[in-house]
Amino acid sequence: MLELGMALFSGVTGALVVASLPKATERLRRAVVLLFSVTGMVFSWRVAIKIFNGGNIGIIAQLGGLTWSLDPDPLGAMFGLIASTLWVFAAIYSFGYMERKTRPQTYYAFFLISLSATLGVAFSGNLLALYFFYELLTLATYPLVIHERSADAVKAGRKYIIYSLSGAAAILIAIVLTYIWSGKIDFASGPILVNTMRPGLNLLLALFVGGFGVKAALMPLHRWLPAAMVAPTPISALLHAVAVVYSGVYGILRVVYSVFGRELMGTLSLARKLPWVAAFTILVGVIIATQQDVLKRRLAYHTISQLSYILLGAFTLQPWGLGGAILHMISYSTLKVTLFFCAGIIAERADETAVSRMQGVGWSLPKTMIAFGVASLGMVGMLPLNTFWSKYYLMRGGVQSGQWSLALVLIGSGIINAICFLPTVVASFQGEKAKSSGETGGNTMLMLGPTLCLAGIALLIGLYPGIVWPGVEAVVNRFF
Amino acid sequence: MTAVIKTHLPVFVVAAPLFVSFLLSPMARRFGWVQSLVVGVQGLGLLLAVYLAGMILKSSGVPIIYSMGGWPAPWGIELWTGSLGAFFLLVVAGVTLPISLYAVNNLSDEVGDATRSTRFFVLYLLLAGVLAGMALTNDLFNIFVLVEVATISCCGLVSARRGPNAAKAAFNYLILATLGSGLILGGIGLVYMITGNLNMGFAGIALNGVWQDYPHVVWMAMSFFLVGFGVKAALFPLHVWLPDAHSTAPTPASAILSGLAVKGYIICLVKILFGVFEVHLLDVFRLDQILVLLGMLAILAGSILALAQGELKRRLAFSTVAQVGYIVLGFGLMNIKGVAGTLFYLASHAVIKSTLFLAAGALISATGKTHVKDFAGVGRKMPITMGVFSIASLGLVGIPLFSGFVGKWYLLLGSLEVGNLTAAGVIGIGSVLCAIYLFPIIRTAYFEPAPEDDWQDPGVPQRLALVMLGIAVIGLGVLPGPLLQLAQKAAADLLIIP
Repeated sequence: MLELGMALFSGVTGALVVASLPKATERLRRAVVLLFSVTGMVFSWRVAIKIFNGGNIGIIAQLGGLTWSLDPDPLGAMFGLIASTLWVFAAIYSFGYMERKTRPQTYYAFFLISLSATLGVAFSGNLLALYFFYELLTLATYPLVIHERSADAVKAGRKYIIYSLSGAAAILIAIVLTYIWSGKIDFASGPILVNTMRPGLNLLLALFVGGFGVKAALMPLHRWLPAAMVAPTPISALLHAVAVVYSGVYGILRVVYSVFGRELMGTLSLARKLPWVAAFTILVGVIIATQQDVLKRRLAYHTISQLSYILLGAFTLQPWGLGGAILHMISYSTLKVTLFFCAGIIAERADETAVSRMQGVGWSLPKTMIAFGVASLGMVGMLPLNTFWSKYYLMRGGVQSGQWSLALVLIGSGIINAICFLPTVVASFQGEKAKSSGETGGNTMLMLGPTLCLAGIALLIGLYPGIVWPGVEAVVNRFF
Repeated sequence: MTAVIKTHLPVFVVAAPLFVSFLLSPMARRFGWVQSLVVGVQGLGLLLAVYLAGMILKSSGVPIIYSMGGWPAPWGIELWTGSLGAFFLLVVAGVTLPISLYAVNNLSDEVGDATRSTRFFVLYLLLAGVLAGMALTNDLFNIFVLVEVATISCCGLVSARRGPNAAKAAFNYLILATLGSGLILGGIGLVYMITGNLNMGFAGIALNGVWQDYPHVVWMAMSFFLVGFGVKAALFPLHVWLPDAHSTAPTPASAILSGLAVKGYIICLVKILFGVFEVHLLDVFRLDQILVLLGMLAILAGSILALAQGELKRRLAFSTVAQVGYIVLGFGLMNIKGVAGTLFYLASHAVIKSTLFLAAGALISATGKTHVKDFAGVGRKMPITMGVFSIASLGLVGIPLFSGFVGKWYLLLGSLEVGNLTAAGVIGIGSVLCAIYLFPIIRTAYFEPAPEDDWQDPGVPQRLALVMLGIAVIGLGVLPGPLLQLAQKAAADLLIIP
């Protein structure tokens, strides 16, 4: 109870504190942001540990004539844990990044509200609460997308809002249909539609997957994501590679395993096609990524591709597939945030945003490019890194579901990933050596520290995958 | 004594504002008295409406029937305070009070000196009383009288603003509304011709026996009512008068016209359709499908037209066209959830649209600008006005825990219960379009740099009115309990489900 409340409200409280201190010094504001992000992280860890150990924390409220419930299960706890942990890294990185940017107060306030909204999505115990926090997340992250206030930013924000709200409308209709057909909307008591055999289930699944697929950037609903890259880099890193897009992915996982349940999913004709939608997104996303010259756009299309790895694993409806999906949620997020952080440092310190002009950047930003290289290797799926394991389990899941070709898709995507990133890393260490290092000064350390830390964590999980295994196991056991 | 007061309560609620409105004009020289009298009678009205609604809720829907002058129906005229009446009365009283509060000391810019402002208040109270009458009446000819009085006071309110535009808008409105009145009178005549009754209950019973002999007459009467009230309620495509009228009227008038007057006509239409023709006949003549179709059209067309408007008040006016679509669609669903949802949505929209118009009026009079793109930075300079505007916008879009969501939720439940996925889809698209035409205003207000001008929130009564309405939007979203119950009872009564 207390842990859940503390985790959920730390963000909003922090935002209120930030908003009520318009004249605060930068140092004070940073302290407040750090304090409340760390509180959020500590308490979501405590929630997660309790849940993984088989505990149960639930809050049910009657508001607006409807029932709202917060009742995290291992899947939600895992999502909350990933998001809140990365939030702290992104907060520290923001301190360095926002140094010379305008409107820090607005930025930090909405940054913290988004934490609460994300944790709300993670901890929601029924479809209504999920919908509420999902909408809240859209509204809370919108000011972050348009933070630059340029014409491009406003346009991107508009796209983001329209896509997200359309998705949410589809979800709302799907929720009402679910409620009418089954009479319940909570996740705790097994799959909602478990004994519902009736026509129209394919349509319901399409509404749900289409709705959540917007935020999960499932092709062809992905267009808002590359546009949203006008946001400040920590936001692109945290929200558009992890928190916001994961809320869509998480929603789809919920729909597959908690609304339909894998038995019912197995009987639906649409469910058999979904892995191929994911496979299509994986391949096309990464191929488009290789064509992009702006680094952040390349990373965005790459995100689109990688998110579908997770969806692919979930759609196989196999324990190994789901395990791989959860493992990929953990591994991919650490590496992708690293990549974005590096992109931010390159843009800020070397003033370079185009991939084609990155020659020699490595000499002035050696640590950054090493972290970038490590993360790129991870995206390929090389062994000492955590994504190797997740890809392995994803392939196993694909094979287990009897679709060998899904494993081939993953291998193919790994090769394209190599084409996408490795030449850049190599090129950055060619050319003449720079005279001075760009990685000096206090702010750079604030940006570089979290980056290196995350790359280290990725390596650590790669070497000892056992440390995250209990969590993954808890999620898989919940549904199988 | 109390017993006497209690029995005469329904007629008092209707008569009090009418009576006070006639008292006002000789008092124009003491404008302070005029204003306190108006606010006072509205406050009293709210108290009585709450009391009546509580009584109906407690007795679980048993109506309070009042025979005017002691003559029982069908000879006398009845005031029928059922769940629907109490519900709409509560909505009228709850919304007119903040609007009249907003008008206090605030009319000189838009309307003129004390004499003109007093005339404005006369018309305003007249409309408030007539709307209360529409809630309670159970007599077809009374409906016609009320509709006529409402139309005339609406036209007066529209033309209250000085300037040629107002006169033109009011004239257009007058012409179309008179056409509508004519059709309504025709419809009433047709019903009277075949039933011999003007009391709706008795007419309904009589019609039940004879409709098979006069199917064409019934069909004609229905279509007269639908088009007649459709013109007055601005049901697309009969909405042409609304944008001009509602956007040129003075702020409090826009609020009451868009928030309540339009709904008064809808309530009359619903009373006639469900009370005289009854569900069974509506089914036979496929009126349910027609209503759903008209509703969907109105939602889509109204929202798209609203998107195309650059002027703030015109955008809000077109938004009303779309919202009327939701309400009509809900009545067409003809199940408890849909009708209850649509009634709740009606209440929610009455509150929200009045809030939006009042806030917009405050913005316009403070900044002197009218275009939606001109309000850069208003959010910081006028925090209360813009805050309430944002709350109301979120409510209209239907974000959970705001009043609009509860209504939309039940509308969706209703439409999916009858398996109408198209209607559900249109409701969803409508919300998205609503976000597209309202959110940019909020974005410019908060996220764009403000000019140096000294813009300020309006005076204390105006702020109080805005805050009251803002609280109502959230309050109805978080605790819809009693109002929703009343709506459900009213829906059950309309659909004749015990």
